[in-house]
Amino acid sequence: MAGGGESLGGGPKQKRGKSGKRKGKKRVGFRLDMTPLVDITFLLLTFFMLTTSMTTPQTMEMNVPPELDEPVEVRESELLMIRVRGDGKIFASMGNEDPEAPVNLKQLQQFVAAKNIDLENRCIVTLKSNGDAPYGLIVEVLDALNAAEPEIIQGLQRKGINERKRKFTVAPYTDEDKLKVEGK
Amino acid sequence: MSKIKKKRVGFVLDMTPLVDITFLLLTFFMFTAKFRSESENQQKFTIKRPQTTQDTAKLPDKDLVMIKVGIDTVSNDTAFYLSMVNEQDVAKLAEAMMALEYPGATERTALFKITDSTWLGKIVEQARMINPQAKFAVDADRRISYKWIDIAINEMRKKRATSFNFVTDKKGASM
Repeated sequence: MAGGGESLGGGPKQKRGKSGKRKGKKRVGFRLDMTPLVDITFLLLTFFMLTTSMTTPQTMEMNVPPELDEPVEVRESELLMIRVRGDGKIFASMGNEDPEAPVNLKQLQQFVAAKNIDLENRCIVTLKSNGDAPYGLIVEVLDALNAAEPEIIQGLQRKGINERKRKFTVAPYTDEDKLKVEGK
Repeated sequence: MSKIKKKRVGFVLDMTPLVDITFLLLTFFMFTAKFRSESENQQKFTIKRPQTTQDTAKLPDKDLVMIKVGIDTVSNDTAFYLSMVNEQDVAKLAEAMMALEYPGATERTALFKITDSTWLGKIVEQARMINPQAKFAVDADRRISYKWIDIAINEMRKKRATSFNFVTDKKGASM
């Protein structure tokens, strides 16, 4: 077998250290069989390679306002409602308007961006979700809201506003909300 | 082919560079390997995380309270599973839960299965007391319904944990 370890040999012409004070028997072409070592190393390498998972999970940060004892008065026209129906249909509307047809995530993103730019940081995005809607969808909605942020910041800067205050909250899905999105 | 090949006697290949690189890779993978914690060992379900497009922040690996919402593979029911990441917090939480006489709690429990909101509120409170700096992370299966998350958010809100993380996967990553 090819054992490697050539360099260990030190050919007969090569002199080691300070020329030959040592009188030990000179080992010519000394060779150590490295095969078992390499075998085990490869084994361990494959084990560690297969067990490591390189993808660390990501996170999406959420900030909700703390529960207050007194309700805060907000203008309905500054409230952007996102309602998610039990079957996964998304409805977006301003607080003083009734929701129309369901929107997809792309439309939602555009709607949120446009309203936020129009209202110049005063817009409060409220998410109301039916308990039956899948959680994966809610995260996709939140993802769309996050994706709208760069556009909003750009839009605000064009208006001369350099600060972005994001207002977001979750609210319970009431019977009233249920009626508003029914049959649409 | 009539050409007679010269037989190579004592053919030797220098394996040193190969071994060098192999050892290098081995050390790299050994150091980066992360081993399963006790709470992950007690977990009897897998979570299919929701997928997001954006490259958001990474999950911190200490000072974290994990609230997992998963579907049990055996009994097929949904429940909350709370665990703390720091080693010393795990023991403290187990102690606190034993003091509260949570059914099935022992000092070895690292992952608490919780099915009702009252207990979830209590354990969240304990976790907040044990490590006030700890952040909350909600790691839920994308197939479960939103009401579970709603319960969790409300319980965290009541205990003044208003900033928390949703654990997600990058879209397109293999799962």
